[in-house]
Amino acid sequence: MRGRDVLAWVGLVLIAVVVFFPIAWGIKTSLTAPLGTGRLSTPLLHLESYRYILSQPLFVVYLKNSLFVSLGAIATALPMAVMGGYALARFDFPGKRLSVLLLVLPLLPAIAVLVPLIVYMQRLGLYNTLYAVILANVVFNTPFAVWMVRGFFASIPYEIEEAATMDGCSRLGSLWRISIPLAAPGLIAVSIFVFINAWNNYLYAFAFTTSPDLAVLPQALLRFLGAWGTNYGGLTAAATLALLPPALFFLLFQKWFVMGMVAGTGK
Amino acid sequence: MPSSRSSRKGLYLLSRYRLPYLLLLPAVVVLVVFLAWPLGSIFYFSLRETPLGGASIFVGLDNFALLLSENRFLNNLAASLRYLVGVLALSVPLAYLAAILVSSRLRGAGIFRTVFMLPWIIAPVVSSILFRTMVDPYSGPITAALEWLTGEKFLFLVKPDLAVLSIVVHSAWRSFPFEMLLIAAGLTAISPELYDSAKVDGAGAWSQFRYVTLPLTRNQLFVAVLLITIWTLQDAEGVYSLTQGGPGYVTEVAGVRLFKEAFIYFNIGIGSAIGVVLILLSILFMILYLRVIGAGESQ
Repeated sequence: MRGRDVLAWVGLVLIAVVVFFPIAWGIKTSLTAPLGTGRLSTPLLHLESYRYILSQPLFVVYLKNSLFVSLGAIATALPMAVMGGYALARFDFPGKRLSVLLLVLPLLPAIAVLVPLIVYMQRLGLYNTLYAVILANVVFNTPFAVWMVRGFFASIPYEIEEAATMDGCSRLGSLWRISIPLAAPGLIAVSIFVFINAWNNYLYAFAFTTSPDLAVLPQALLRFLGAWGTNYGGLTAAATLALLPPALFFLLFQKWFVMGMVAGTGK
Repeated sequence: MPSSRSSRKGLYLLSRYRLPYLLLLPAVVVLVVFLAWPLGSIFYFSLRETPLGGASIFVGLDNFALLLSENRFLNNLAASLRYLVGVLALSVPLAYLAAILVSSRLRGAGIFRTVFMLPWIIAPVVSSILFRTMVDPYSGPITAALEWLTGEKFLFLVKPDLAVLSIVVHSAWRSFPFEMLLIAAGLTAISPELYDSAKVDGAGAWSQFRYVTLPLTRNQLFVAVLLITIWTLQDAEGVYSLTQGGPGYVTEVAGVRLFKEAFIYFNIGIGSAIGVVLILLSILFMILYLRVIGAGESQ
């Protein structure tokens, strides 16, 4: 029995090394002094690479763009997901079975859908705006978000709402006052799901924008990569900054996030 | 008072149906206009030549004929297949092992379930920068270790075989957490009594795995493989940010080709045609896997 435990721990540690080595090495590289600039000087942590990144005039613009797109996607997708998810969790109506499409649609290639969308965004005058990027993020995250919210509402006992309706609360009133507060952890999980996807994505921004000052962070990283080649200090510093928000949000809210993910695959 | 009762019932039905439809309306409108409609119109655009800002011309199956006559596109499909097989072969066993370990009753194993998810929530561009840093010919720790071990310099993103290996390892690293999550959900649902009775029957560790664990997680395993297959097949971001499809066209998977044609050269016709191929392949894999699950269940 003990031998098996030891073996299991060895396995866990080995996988942990596989998972963490790239991240740890990246962070270490970002905190190492660039070649030739005081390698032998005393401080343990060198912040030169971070100073360099943050002194790039456009970097702050990229950060703002990413934030604008991610928050805009949440602000648009979440209300739609709450309304749609509530309808699917609490009502029976003709055509409800079509909601299975919410699980199938995200399996079709987003990258293919983007091609005609380029043409349509042009016609709508949204091409080369961040609104087009927000819209794309909303479109591709909404199906799964609705499905996740549906699951969270379904897990709240209906009796609580019924009691509220009997006390004179309207249907929408009970949604607003009872169900939404009770499903709050789930709604946070959905928001983080949308945030992480929008923050990490560069496909939509790449497809719909051409102006350099409209780039989002991942797109900017790709540009740095092209322009700087092997300035690994700068690259890993930018990568670390881009990695922090999703990692932080995920670790803080992982319990609900994981619950929603597993529920969302139909299990 | 029957009349007021029936009118109340009518009102009840109206509110019962009208409210859910109204609640669903925004999501449905957005999905129909910006997802279903373009999904359908990609077939239309694949049969046309569409210059940006100009009028499009019908060209029949020219885009497809052009693609199929190209060695480059056949190579794109072969690269996608190689990529897919490599990612599955590497990530699924790793995910299964990780799932067994994180759902074991060891104290503290649960925390690993959380932290092992990290690769999955990191942006493809970010992880490709991390991987580039590791395999740099001069400063990368992996290249240094391999040079120390073998005396040779491994030029990961330059040599064709090593470039393929790089995109596979990178993608497997990103994909295994999600597979692990699904499989672990299946593992935790297995009742411990099944293992107890298997032990009473004298089953060893392998037999327990073979006759209890594996059959009872088969569905989760299939769902995981299905989703990763479809996502890997469609992937452009992970590969493009690591190799841009190079060296030459060795790692130019179908997704990357589409990415270049549509988003860099604005070749809407060719891009749509590749998109059609990707959609059909995705549907094919969906049907294939649903069949396999169905066949397994009817046995």
